[in-house]
Amino acid sequence: MPLLSPDEEAKVRGWFAELERPVELLVAVGPEETPAAGARDIDFGAEMVRMCEALAELGDRVTCHVEPEPDGFPRFPSVSIRPQGRDAGVRYDGLPWGYELSSLVGAIVEAGRAEPTLRPESRAALQSLDRDLALDVFVTPT
Amino acid sequence: MLLAYRCALASERVTATGIEANEFPQLAQEMGVWAVPRIAVNGVPQWDGAVPEPEFLRRVTAPSST
Repeated sequence: MPLLSPDEEAKVRGWFAELERPVELLVAVGPEETPAAGARDIDFGAEMVRMCEALAELGDRVTCHVEPEPDGFPRFPSVSIRPQGRDAGVRYDGLPWGYELSSLVGAIVEAGRAEPTLRPESRAALQSLDRDLALDVFVTPT
Repeated sequence: MLLAYRCALASERVTATGIEANEFPQLAQEMGVWAVPRIAVNGVPQWDGAVPEPEFLRRVTAPSST
């Protein structure tokens, strides 16, 4: 089954064509937790690889690289979205089903920008941070 | 989700991870995930739901957020 409809694929190709810098998708695969009852019975790692490889085919500046159990990944599967191959701390753990696929596409588009798109006052607030922040956003497929 | 990602891309002090709650039920239970999106900062659940950028920044950078 295709990842995107023809219309969606055309839009994503257009966005990826505008990327100002390369973006690498590092897909980390390894032992997986037993998902919640009612979750789909599939090979999450294999599906994550399929999704990310399919996205990488939509733009010359998007690449996909798969690693088994790389250091620093507490959960599998996971994808690290890396501007110019650099670990910028942007990840998605688990399969980005449904609407969350747009979050992954959005992360690629954001990582491909030369400058952050936050408001100046937001950037200033982050620049004045005196501690590290690990933001976890829990979602479910919709 | 994208706001968190934008923060991480803008600051080396920030990381942002989207987590599919159904695939990691133990962690989701520990974080008390009943509604989504649920946002946790440094492993501590903070709030549920999307908020505008200024409010998001105010909440995650507040001293009480960690």
